[in-house]
Amino acid sequence: MPVLDSFRKISRSFRDAYKGNFKFRLGFSIVLVMSILGLVLPYFSPQDPRSWYTVPKDKPPSFQYPLGTTTMGRNVFWELCASIGKSLTIALITALIASHVGLLIGLVAGIKGGTLDKLLMFLSDTFVILPQLVLLIVVITVVRAWITIPMLGAIISIVSWPWPARQVRSMVLSLRERTFVYTARLSGMNMPKVLLYELMPHLLGWHLVNFANTILFSVGTEGSLAIFGLSLLDNNTLGAMLYWAINFYALYRGLWWWISAPVVTLVLIFVSFYLISVGLSEHLHRIRR
Amino acid sequence: MEVDLEAAALEGGYLLSSMHTPSPKRHEVYVDAVSDVSLKLRRNEVFGIAGESGCGKSTLIKMLYGYLEPPLVLRGGSVKLHTKEGEEVQITSLTRKQLQKDVWWNHASYVPQSSMNVLNPTMRIRDHFAEMFKMHAGIGRKEAYAEARKYVEQVGLPMDVLSAFPHQLSGGMRQRVVIAIALLLEPDLVLADEPSSALDVINQQIVLNLLREAQEALRNTLVIVSHDMGIHGVMTHRMTVMYAGKLIEIGRTGDIFEKPIHPYTQVLIESLPKLGDKKQRTGLGGHPPDLRSPPTGCRFHPRCPYAMPKCGKEPPEIQEVKSDRYVACWRYPE
Amino acid sequence: MTGIMALRPSKRALVEYIASRTLFYVATLFTAVTLTYVLFKAMPVDAVENIIFGMTSAVGAVYDPKAVMQLRRDLYELFGLGGGSPVESYLVFLRRVFTFNFGPSFISFPTPALELVLYRLPWTIGLLTTSTIVTWTLGNLLGVIAGYFRTGRFGRVLEGVAITLYPIPYYIMALVLILVFAFLIPIFPLGGGTSVIAEELTLEVILNIIWHSLLPALSLIIPGALGWFFISARTLTMETLSEDYTKYAQIRGLPEGHIIRRYVLKNILVPQTTMLALSLGGIFSGAILTEVIFAYPGVGMLAYRATFSGDLNTLMAVLLLSMLAVATAVYVLDLLYPLLDPRIRHR
Repeated sequence: MPVLDSFRKISRSFRDAYKGNFKFRLGFSIVLVMSILGLVLPYFSPQDPRSWYTVPKDKPPSFQYPLGTTTMGRNVFWELCASIGKSLTIALITALIASHVGLLIGLVAGIKGGTLDKLLMFLSDTFVILPQLVLLIVVITVVRAWITIPMLGAIISIVSWPWPARQVRSMVLSLRERTFVYTARLSGMNMPKVLLYELMPHLLGWHLVNFANTILFSVGTEGSLAIFGLSLLDNNTLGAMLYWAINFYALYRGLWWWISAPVVTLVLIFVSFYLISVGLSEHLHRIRR
Repeated sequence: MEVDLEAAALEGGYLLSSMHTPSPKRHEVYVDAVSDVSLKLRRNEVFGIAGESGCGKSTLIKMLYGYLEPPLVLRGGSVKLHTKEGEEVQITSLTRKQLQKDVWWNHASYVPQSSMNVLNPTMRIRDHFAEMFKMHAGIGRKEAYAEARKYVEQVGLPMDVLSAFPHQLSGGMRQRVVIAIALLLEPDLVLADEPSSALDVINQQIVLNLLREAQEALRNTLVIVSHDMGIHGVMTHRMTVMYAGKLIEIGRTGDIFEKPIHPYTQVLIESLPKLGDKKQRTGLGGHPPDLRSPPTGCRFHPRCPYAMPKCGKEPPEIQEVKSDRYVACWRYPE
Repeated sequence: MTGIMALRPSKRALVEYIASRTLFYVATLFTAVTLTYVLFKAMPVDAVENIIFGMTSAVGAVYDPKAVMQLRRDLYELFGLGGGSPVESYLVFLRRVFTFNFGPSFISFPTPALELVLYRLPWTIGLLTTSTIVTWTLGNLLGVIAGYFRTGRFGRVLEGVAITLYPIPYYIMALVLILVFAFLIPIFPLGGGTSVIAEELTLEVILNIIWHSLLPALSLIIPGALGWFFISARTLTMETLSEDYTKYAQIRGLPEGHIIRRYVLKNILVPQTTMLALSLGGIFSGAILTEVIFAYPGVGMLAYRATFSGDLNTLMAVLLLSMLAVATAVYVLDLLYPLLDPRIRHR
């Protein structure tokens, strides 16, 4: 049963990574907690987090309201949970699109080489040089009226694909040098096919690392966009929380809990995904030897 | 005969932690690369260290030099250098700082195996000379450049080389630069690790000639490490053969070539092509032992055609079997 | 004497290099502008009407009908809807961009968008340049030290700090800094570019400006100097230390300080400069955000206000001018390479 086999293989390598690397363990655990908070808990929230003025406003953290309440009368704790879920969803969409597009482009550029490679790399370099945030701001300002969660995720992926593409391409190039020699001997086998079968196992590892990094990047970008008021403001995202807190001068008015909650959460998300990606790449490095 | 360098019961090897295995458990593995090595090198001689790849020759001269970079560790023994001025320097007991200041380059220098990447890519050749002068002789830059010209000339390179960057020079030229730098402070001991192995035949000749001329001029000790027996035949006065971390034969080069005593040495000499000899060459079966768990007794016994039961139990001591000839084998002295 | 390659500094190699980088610079700008055009062309037509509707129907907004017509025309040209063939509208777009004609801004009608941006640009560039220079230098120094003295407490601590700081985007750092240093321990002002309104640049004014820029600058410097650049400098240092030439330098007994300076630092400069060039886009974006958070009167604040009013002319001006700025900075860095890497100068 090949499906069961590969499943077993994947879970075994996951277990190896988990046991073998402290960073990965730590990062993954935090992400797990976050996911539960963000994707499971909101179903249990007593009020619809989207509605305003459901609880008394501007209350500091207490036993009843563990993270306090906002000026718009929302419970910070439940709002936070819902926001985590939404932000992670957007980031997931971005990562799914961007890392796979990047993978594809990197593969094509690395395997085909020649002018196609030069063209693709020129394109990706141009995107890298562009100030990405400004581009996103302009684009989203225009489509603001229609923006939805998946759309936001897709738009952010426009600027997230160049980096994984470059990474994948350089991996392909270095691997190509190695397999090249005995590919010549295995005459008869289609070159692209060989490269694909040889490359995939190596690339899978890095693909996961890229995936984690893209999630990181996307959460960050969503936050930046939100500060400009360009996210889904009435639907909860972490960036939106920041936006409202800033706009209601939370700091000036001493409502530190309102802004600290999303800030601390964001920091935790960033650090944990980074730990995952570093931990994974350390682990892969070690196995490679 | 004046003794220049004395090594006694030298023990050393590589301590590897299991970061090189996929399992997360950590345990350490010791590769016994240099085992119970004792040597006496004389002034004004060219001494060769021969043996196949992996026998420990490079490790040995690093230990003689005192360059113990982890995972290389010194486990026992001592190395003493007797300088021209009559001082006795205990290399094995000095700290890195002391070695850097007093010993390295002044009294002993080192020519590394491959010079392709040993020069700083962002520094011109003349600056490579200048930094050595500045550090050891306190000479300023202008003077150093002038001095450098002399050395460059000596190794037969054109003056342009001085203002060039390493990537502009070929492998042979880089090797000559490295040799020139090694001889800068006229050291008592020059250790050359496979000085010509990475070069083409013509450059090999040039480099070896340079080394010999320099040794004759300075009348110091030159140690050449090489797996190529031909080089030993041509260059060295005395030599030793190393196998699996142990010295198995030491003696005058001419004598060894004419009448090799140790079974392994015999195989090495036999494998050299001789003019007019049409017999087919046979190699030696098997391969060198894994130094993580070397065999008991004589390390050569698994491959030795003359092995006796004793050979597998106790390692033979190296002994003087003839005048100035030492062998480590249970068959000798008869 | 065989084996000597051209030992004279090859003028030809240098000229070729400059030519190719210039070509790249121009091509990138061109491609970026074209991409923008394509992106806009892909927007639904309603977008324009939507924007105009949004603006004109805002409460309390009174607009001169001629102005609205001009705006509609500008937006149509911007979106390539100006009628005529696609090629024509592309050329019209190009012409506008290359003559820096972005039309009137909306937040300050009828001041041209270009003027607004140019007025703010010096603030942003000042903040950016100083903080980038400090970040890069500091990051390199700290990275080399951490890489060289890898074992030992200091190196480990720095590594831990760097791992925490690296993924944190600029604006989060900005918020944290504000929380701590302007709120909890009120040392620094909460924002603004200056609290003194003056016509001329007296010393007092200058100092005041610097005082206000400290926190924004710090929020740009810390994630870089202790994050990005630090980590890559450290990794590069460790790689350089295992290079043959560094080991040979150690074997020759050269002193540590000398090795750190001439063998390590010098050799990591090139890859670090590459990294700098690649991250300029990100640094710029970060700077913009930081300005918003600190209400710093630069291009970022301008973009912020423009976003809220849907002022596309200004936004376009900001976009294209910032593309120009970053691409030019990268170009300048590219031109600096031959100075750093002799392998390019002498091929």
